[in-house]
Amino acid sequence: MTADRFRALVSGVLIVGVVSAAALISLGVVTALLVGWSGSLSGSPIGTDAATAFSAMGNNLAALRPVGFAQLGLVVLLATPVARVAASVAAFTLERDRLYAGITAIVLLVLLTSLFILH
Amino acid sequence: MTIGADLGIFVFSLAAGIIGALAGVGGGILVVPALTIVFGVDIRLAIGASIVSVIATSSGAAAAYVRDGMTDMRVGMFLELATTTGAVCGALLAAVVAPAALFILLGIVLLFSALQQVLRLGEELPPVADPSALAARLRLAGAYPDARLGRDVPYAAQRVPLGFALMAGAGVVSGLLGIGSGALKVLAMDGAMRLPMKVSSATSNFMIGVTAAASAGIYLGRGDVDPTLAAPVALGVLAGATLGARILPRLSNRTVRLVFLPVLVVIGIETLLKGLGVGL
Repeated sequence: MTADRFRALVSGVLIVGVVSAAALISLGVVTALLVGWSGSLSGSPIGTDAATAFSAMGNNLAALRPVGFAQLGLVVLLATPVARVAASVAAFTLERDRLYAGITAIVLLVLLTSLFILH
Repeated sequence: MTIGADLGIFVFSLAAGIIGALAGVGGGILVVPALTIVFGVDIRLAIGASIVSVIATSSGAAAAYVRDGMTDMRVGMFLELATTTGAVCGALLAAVVAPAALFILLGIVLLFSALQQVLRLGEELPPVADPSALAARLRLAGAYPDARLGRDVPYAAQRVPLGFALMAGAGVVSGLLGIGSGALKVLAMDGAMRLPMKVSSATSNFMIGVTAAASAGIYLGRGDVDPTLAAPVALGVLAGATLGARILPRLSNRTVRLVFLPVLVVIGIETLLKGLGVGL
């Protein structure tokens, strides 16, 4: 794997994460202007959960509520750095750079562990 | 919140994204006071939005910096080993350590570092040197394309153990206090490891998102992230960071330091005030 392709892979993961997050959040903002954050595009009842309740994201999405689109966009955004580290493990492995594949895998492990310990 | 306030938050976040992308910091420390003081947002939700802004700055800017070869991925990944481990330790320590004294200490460290930065204002590139033995073994050396100088500029990391220790400290601080880790990362790469300023800033940007992601889940679960507030923040910061990442390659290293210095001073003063019990 050349240095260019290596960078393209990692940068590509970041671009996909950022662009899809921005698209989902924008969709939320635009539709919120039409029906309000808790309104529904499909005529479902107005949502009663607080906007901060991400546990209601699935329901909000099923009911096509703008707040659901924004929530999903934010989750994609917050997950992007983790995906980037995972992509780096793959990139270093493809490059047969054992040292850095190992270092990056440990970072991924610590990151995932921290997500569990800290909850 | 009114559409006018949302637009205001978007515009402010755009500026924070540009500054963050240039200075290598997440801009949380700029976003939080603006949201609470100017827009009257509850501090808890402002901090939740600032975590979103750190990750948006990092991912938005790093997408371009990695592609353009401004970020040193090896330096970044190696040092992330220190920051992520440090952040976990910091978060665990948070239950037993009184943060006030730490805020004061960190504030003083940052302001002293600002003095050191003043002394370096005239320096365009760090002195060229061979990589240290450890840096050579870890391949912490390379070259970045400098659009301003019109050539590839080689560099090699110095004092790797010191840089690694500072990064672990930056991780502990961010896990413990939740702030200031971007500034410490730039200081560790520029000050200790003597990487060029643009590489330090771009690599710090690459790293801060990972440190923030480690704690983002907590904020989501606690209900501190309000999508109706975080949406204009995220969109503004993403746009700003993308813009900033297009500007940085064209600036001189001197100019990047000139952007970083006032940000560092503001962060230092804010941290110090926080330790002294003056809330912003």
